[in-house]
This record gives sequence, C-alpha cells and structure tokens, in this order.
Amino acid sequence: MNILVACKIIPDDQDIQIAGDGSLDFSKAHQIVSEYDLNAIEFAAQLGEATGSSVKAISVGAAAADDSKVKKNILSRGVDELFLTADDAATDLDSAATAAELAKLANAADGYDLIVVGTGSADFYAKQVGVHLAAKLDVPYVSGVTKATVNGSTVSCTRVLENVVENVDVPLPCVVSILPDAALPRIAGMKDILAAGKKPMNVSAAEGVAAPAVSTVSLAAPAAVDRKCEVFEDIDSFVAAVKAAL
Amino acid sequence: MDFQLTDEQELLLESVDEFCERYFTDEVVEQMYAEGGMPDEIAEAYRDAGFGLMGIPEEYGGVPADKVTVGLMIERLYQKSGCMHILYQNSLSMFDIIEFGSEEQKQQCMEHYMETGWPISSLAISEPGAGSDNQSMTAVTRKQADGTYVLSGQKTWVTMGAVLPYTIVVAKDEDPSHDNRNMSLWLVKMDTPGVSTAPLHKIGQQCIPFCEVYFDDVVLTEDQRMGEPGKGFMMLMKNFEVERAYVVAEQLGLAQAALEDAARYANQRIAFGAPIAKLELIQELLCDMEIKVQNTRNMLYKTLWMLDNDIPVQLESAMLKRYGCKECFEVADMALQIYAGLGYTTEVRIGRLWADMRGNMFGGGTHEIMAYIAGRQVAKKYAQ
Repeated sequence: MNILVACKIIPDDQDIQIAGDGSLDFSKAHQIVSEYDLNAIEFAAQLGEATGSSVKAISVGAAAADDSKVKKNILSRGVDELFLTADDAATDLDSAATAAELAKLANAADGYDLIVVGTGSADFYAKQVGVHLAAKLDVPYVSGVTKATVNGSTVSCTRVLENVVENVDVPLPCVVSILPDAALPRIAGMKDILAAGKKPMNVSAAEGVAAPAVSTVSLAAPAAVDRKCEVFEDIDSFVAAVKAAL
Repeated sequence: MDFQLTDEQELLLESVDEFCERYFTDEVVEQMYAEGGMPDEIAEAYRDAGFGLMGIPEEYGGVPADKVTVGLMIERLYQKSGCMHILYQNSLSMFDIIEFGSEEQKQQCMEHYMETGWPISSLAISEPGAGSDNQSMTAVTRKQADGTYVLSGQKTWVTMGAVLPYTIVVAKDEDPSHDNRNMSLWLVKMDTPGVSTAPLHKIGQQCIPFCEVYFDDVVLTEDQRMGEPGKGFMMLMKNFEVERAYVVAEQLGLAQAALEDAARYANQRIAFGAPIAKLELIQELLCDMEIKVQNTRNMLYKTLWMLDNDIPVQLESAMLKRYGCKECFEVADMALQIYAGLGYTTEVRIGRLWADMRGNMFGGGTHEIMAYIAGRQVAKKYAQ
C-alpha cells in the first residue's frame, strides 16, 4: 500500500517581525513544518509501520520551502520519501490551488491508496485543502479522524465529533483528515536524523499553477496594548479594576 | 571559524526541546525533587530517542556522534529541562564499560540499557580519604589461593550506587599502601554478599541519589575485572577530560535557564513604576551573566572540538571545568539576586538551580584541583 501524507512548510511564527503599523515581516523567519501536520506525519508513519507500507510526504510552497533542514525534519519522522514543489509561483496559494498542486504530486509519487492530511495549517488554518484534494482526485474524504485501520480495500475510520463517536468504512483510495489527538509526533532521535539526509528528496518547480480564487486583502497583527504598570495593594481594588476593564 | 550548526545538530536540539517539553513538566520535576529520583518513563523515552546512545559504537547499538554534538545535546537537555537530573551521567559508566570491558560485559551492559533505559552500573571511585588524591585510596583486592579475589574498602559519592544493579570499582591490587600505584577496575554486582550502602543526604541535586558503598570481604572472580590489571586508574583518567567538558555542558545549560528566568522576571517585576530591567544595576547583572554564559560556551565548544580532532586538552579541560562551573554558578547566584526574596522561596525554580549548580564546583574535581592541574601546565607552557 502507498500512503501519502500532505504537509505544509510555513514560516516559524516566533521569527515573524511585527512592525509598528501591525504589518508582518516574514523575511527573517525560519521555515518549519506546520504543527498539525506533524500529527498527520506521525499518523501516516504509524499506519505505514502497521501495514508494512511505504510512506511518502507531499508538499507545496514558495521557493523558501526547499530548506534542507525542513526536508530532513520531515524525513526523520518515519517518512520514506519526499515530493516537494518549491517555487515562488506557489507562494500563498489558496486552498483549491494548493490541493491542485498536491494532486499533481500525488500522481507523481507512484500512485496512492491513502492520503493523510492534518486538520489545518498552523498559519491560516483554513481546513479546506483535504476536501479540495479529495475532490480533485475524485476520491472519498473523511474528516475528524482519530483512528484508522486498513482492511483490504477499505479503511475503517473513527471520527470524534462534538457529542458522538462515529465509525465509518471508506473504500481506498481516499483522503482522511486527522485530528491532532490522533497521533503524538515522535521525537526524532539522532539515528533518524542522520538517516533522513540519505532518503530521496524530489524537489521540483511549479508548472501551470492555478490563479488563486481567494486573495488576501490585508494581513496585520492586532494592535499591541502597553502595560499599565499598576500595582494593586489589595484584592478588592484588583477585582474592581478588572470589572471596570471588562 | 564556523560557528554554524549543521542541519543535523539543529534538528537534534529541536528533538531535545520536544523531549524536555513533553517529559519535564513542572509537576514531574516537582515530584522528582520530592521523591529523589526520576521516573522510569523518562529514562525509557531518553533511550528510545537515542540520546543516551550517542557516542556508543554502532556495533553495540550506539549512534555515531562527535563530542561537540554530544556536548550540544547535553547543554540543551539541561537548559530545557531546567533541573539537574541523572540523564547525561547515565552514559558515562556505559562509555567506560564499552571502552574497557570484556565482550561479555559490553553485551550485558547494552542489553540492560536497551531493556530498562538505565545504565547497568554506577562508578565507585572516591573514598572518604581519597578524592582527587586518588593515590591515597585504600580499597584493595587480594588474590586468594583458589584464584578468586577479596575486595575490601569503602567508596563514597557513588551516584545511583544503591539503585543500579552493578558498580564499577577501582581498587588497588594486593597492597593498599600509598606507594602502590597498581589499581584495577572491577564490575561488582550490588547484591553480592558483603556489599552494602548508606544514603548521603545533600543540600542540592536531590534528583540524583548518592550513597556510600561498603565492601566487606567481597569475593570477586577474574571475569569481573575490566581491562588490564594494574592500569585501572589510568583507564578511568583517560575519560576524565571529556567528562569535565560534559559536566560543564550540564552546568552551562542550567546557567542559561537561570539567565532566561532572571531576564524574564526583570522585565516583569515592577519597582518604582517600571520593570526592574530598566534599572542600570540590574542591567549590569544581566550583562555580566550573559558574558559568563557566552565565555563558557566558547571554551566548551573549543575544548570539545579539540577532543574531536585528537588535540590534547589536559590544560583546556581543567581550565574549562574551573572557569565554567564557577562562572555558571555565579550566573545562578546573580539570577537569585535579581529575584531577591522571591528567589529564596520554593515558589520559583532559581533556588534549586542555585543549590544544584553549587555541587558542580567540586563534583568531578574541585576548581582548586583544576587550578593545580592547569597551573603547572601554564607554567610549563611559558617556561623559557
């Protein structure tokens, strides 16, 4: 079985500079793997180990995504091979365009039976790429998955919803979107890290990227509020101040 | 010079961050200090991540790693866990067994580690009357007519001595007198008749239990000997230099944690209508703390780099231990000063960091002994 896992490479939010007017400067930010996609990678890796399947990661992003450390990071977490489109033409794609590029990579990766995606990206958290990808590939899609077991040509998934737990069977191939609780990312050891650099990394430029249907009008951090440096002598005056501020 | 870390080193440090964040929660650390140990779960996770296998040869299941990388890992481990636990020291006795032990002892050592996450043995070197003055040790083995040996003596400051199943003992061969320079290493099972322990109660480092170990006519067999007869102490000394560097890596990580705590607190604590970080005397403390941390880090990395390149470090490792452990302790002391009264309570961790780090000013050799080792070499280096 071929298992693919989609992941997004994003700027580390700890490195993003916020200017006085609230505008964001990403230029000094290191590239990292989106937080929820680490859970997806682990979920795919565990499923791969349980079924003796290969696990390949697919990702699309700007040219900066072609970062040697990030690629090794992905490959140190139980992934056998990476397929990455890294091109400035693929900067800030919307969900549909991202899914279209991922679909190309899925087809380039010697086929797929199961594609795992995270619940959403840690930067914009649109939570739409998985469903767009399934539509693009014309395969079923299951969201909110916390557990999956492969039984021949189907995968049995457990979905945890607000008030109920649902079990569904889905024919392969399909796309499943997992909740972060589904798998705790492994801690890559030195042996895994050293091995990662020797695994195949297929990096390509983008071709015929779809124009985004959604365009960002503005992106700014909320205004910072200065500390008032007030020291309260007793709890009552503190409570009164909190009430007044609400 | 290139101070840039490799991708692999950076990823390793990120893994260490994840490990510490996941396992050294405030509740767990509090429990460790209260109970005087570390949960098995952490030892097992450390083994599973392969951190404890770094530097052990691949043929024994280890992970290839240069000493700079091991030092980086240790520094980050203590910076991010923010407490003085046993983890890095666990590898030291394993290094000795892998280097000096018989094939059977090596296999036994690695099997035990992979099964439990704990090393198979502690190290029993110091005696009540012989620390750095090792020539004064009196523990002795005497060969018997039946070919066995009888071990007699007392060891002290044995880290994890009462917890681990074996201990590596250095003892004089046949004659305990001062002039006898022949010593051997023995791998002794702690449940052997004649072995007993007594706990030592410390004012810091409570997560790392120490004890005294008594050997009352303990019968040993030849296959318990490690390495060449009579060369025991020389063998152990061979690893002292890298061990000095690693203890500084531990101290440096803790100093970095203390510095970060103090700087954060100085930015939060309001006095006279402004954060105390705005006060010049606090800024001077923070500046001097950063200088001490950066200087120690530079000395540490250079010494480890020299070790990796087979350049002798007898001078550098002694200077590093003397300077690094003392200056890093002073960082903790200055951090406590910034916290003032709050730092003297158990509400924040700086007090226990301070007490833990004080111990590294003599553990692994006092800094007076380090001056003795280094000073002679400096005089020789510049002799006309």
